[in-house]
Amino acid sequence: MILLWPLGIAILGAGVLFCLANPKAATRVALVLGAAEAVVLVDIAWQVYHHGVLTFGNYLRADGLTSFFLINLALTTGLVLIYASGYMHEASEDRFFSPRWFYALVFLFLFTMLGVCLSSNLGLLWIMMEGTTLASALLVGFYNTEGAVEAGWKYLVVCTVGIAFALFGTIVLYLAAVRAGISPATALDWASLTDAVSHVVLDPHLVKLAFVFVIVGYGTKIGFVPMHSWLPDAHAEAPAPISALLSAVLLNCALYALLRYDAIVSRVVGPAFAHRLLLIFGVLSIVVAGLLILMQRDLKRLLAYSSIEHLGIAAIGIGLGGPLGLYGALLHTFNHSMAKSLLFFGAGNVRHNCGTVRMDRLGGLARVLPQTTGILALGGLAIVGLPPFSLFISEFAILSEAFSQSRYLVSALFLVTLSIVFGGFLHHFLGIICGEPKHAPAAARLSPSEWIVGGVAVACLLLLGIHIPHLFNTMLQQAVAVAR
Amino acid sequence: MGILETTAGKVLSSYSVFLFLTVLAQAAARRFSTSVFLFSLQSAIIAIQVAVIGYHEKLVEAFVVALLIVLLKVVGIPYAFFRLIEKLQAPRDVQTSTSAAESVFIAVGIICLSYAAVRSYASGVQAPEDGLAASVALILTGAFLMVSRKKALMQMIGLLVLENGIFLAALTTTFGMPLVIEIGIFFDVLMGLLLMGLFVFRIRDTFDHMDVSKLRKLRG
Repeated sequence: MILLWPLGIAILGAGVLFCLANPKAATRVALVLGAAEAVVLVDIAWQVYHHGVLTFGNYLRADGLTSFFLINLALTTGLVLIYASGYMHEASEDRFFSPRWFYALVFLFLFTMLGVCLSSNLGLLWIMMEGTTLASALLVGFYNTEGAVEAGWKYLVVCTVGIAFALFGTIVLYLAAVRAGISPATALDWASLTDAVSHVVLDPHLVKLAFVFVIVGYGTKIGFVPMHSWLPDAHAEAPAPISALLSAVLLNCALYALLRYDAIVSRVVGPAFAHRLLLIFGVLSIVVAGLLILMQRDLKRLLAYSSIEHLGIAAIGIGLGGPLGLYGALLHTFNHSMAKSLLFFGAGNVRHNCGTVRMDRLGGLARVLPQTTGILALGGLAIVGLPPFSLFISEFAILSEAFSQSRYLVSALFLVTLSIVFGGFLHHFLGIICGEPKHAPAAARLSPSEWIVGGVAVACLLLLGIHIPHLFNTMLQQAVAVAR
Repeated sequence: MGILETTAGKVLSSYSVFLFLTVLAQAAARRFSTSVFLFSLQSAIIAIQVAVIGYHEKLVEAFVVALLIVLLKVVGIPYAFFRLIEKLQAPRDVQTSTSAAESVFIAVGIICLSYAAVRSYASGVQAPEDGLAASVALILTGAFLMVSRKKALMQMIGLLVLENGIFLAALTTTFGMPLVIEIGIFFDVLMGLLLMGLFVFRIRDTFDHMDVSKLRKLRG
């Protein structure tokens, strides 16, 4: 029953927020609803932690893997809502740009992402994943400028086609399950499917075919190269809180879907097939994104390519498997969420105060916006994987797994890419932070809400980088146990 | 054997030929309205197929799905498209990047390719080879329409044809997915089209044209 609550709050919240014409009231109600949502999600994670799997009806289910992603989702969404409460103040009252549209769509988006995490049925998971595209397309095109409309259209078309391939993959898996004698009603149910494959033989050719389509389909949403074309546009043109939601939550949800399929396919045809594909896509993504990071001119596009790179790193971790690979990958998704939301918040502040995020038009931010520069610098240091920030830990775990499996090509490409990205970020960030100011010094100090989100994100990055708490570690282990 | 059974048998065995014809005609279509009409026809063929399967297998669910297809894809979506064309008052030709003859040749190639692609799988899954080939042909044609047609509206048609192909694949191999999932997928497609329609208006208003091949601002 408790599994219905987060979905109910999100969908009803979207309806209520849509009816609130007063921007101030909408902001406050959104914050309250977000807090309620966070409490419910933490409660679900707590119950899963102590009592194991929760189910509701035939379609909802939460296990260790779910609750790990739910915690990530709750924390990031909370930060985004708090940040948005300051960010949306200057939004106009126009029909589509008012805060009520913004918040209603955000909660609808939240509803679909929760649906992805909570659904036990792979068909429902697909429906919700397509729903995430639909709910967020309008948010991507929110500013209604030429760039935003183009990005929104591209996002809608590319992701809908990509997701259509995932539907085809889902159908092929369903076909394999039904042919093997599993009843049609439970043939798409993840839990019964993973149980069944231990004593029923699924046609390995069909299962492999299904996984190829699924990895292309959901890989489009994760932003694997070469299906990534929508991602930089959408991240760059969306409002900053939405860029953070896309990068830190949506991409993780797509990765979560892929993990579910990976678990089934690995049980049927052995882990080698699925993991090799993940490694190929992961390495391709980090190498291409790493090189493209060097030549970016727009701060938010730079961050978007960095998201492709980091999801590629997570894919490599999953593809390596082993004791540290999956552990590192899941930890990495969490760390990336924190660091990337911090950076997008910083970029949002820059756009607010300087009116642009083109890096050739920015300079001397350390003097113009000292506090925002602090956020960008800390986020930048974290995202390139320097200790004591936690991305160092997860990247190190994945790298040591690669070395212990003697995968020297993967390790070498991984290390080279990390150094290129380090150089790229250093070059770009020094360029905008140091030098002569190109804007008049603004009096813009961080608002209290920005202090909160910055503080929480940095604290998480530092805490996990120095010492992973026992509670968090056990949750992570439970998630790894489910996904293996 | 009654007349109904005989008819059902004939329809079952020859529907893929009709689908291939719509694929070829779709490739040759010069006007947007022709394209919409062909999509409607294509969906009607699939709806009949669903109903025939429902009759054969005595499945009530299949009739519900067939009714949904008729309401949505045969009548609803094409009607919405015609209204959209009227409201946009845009030129009615589809503006292709390949000529009609080239497109038809590509469509023939797609049909041959589909047969080649399904050959190794059709025997394994005991599905009718023609039906499976038709579904792959529809998927490829949809993708081809999306990349070769410049108008935003034609990309929507391409997406619909692609979706028809996936639906047909599910139908020929497993007699369709569970009903709840099927309805959810219908709903998603409908919402997706609504949103795309909204974006088409926005594209026209912000760019003063609907030629998505000219949307080139975001690069690199």
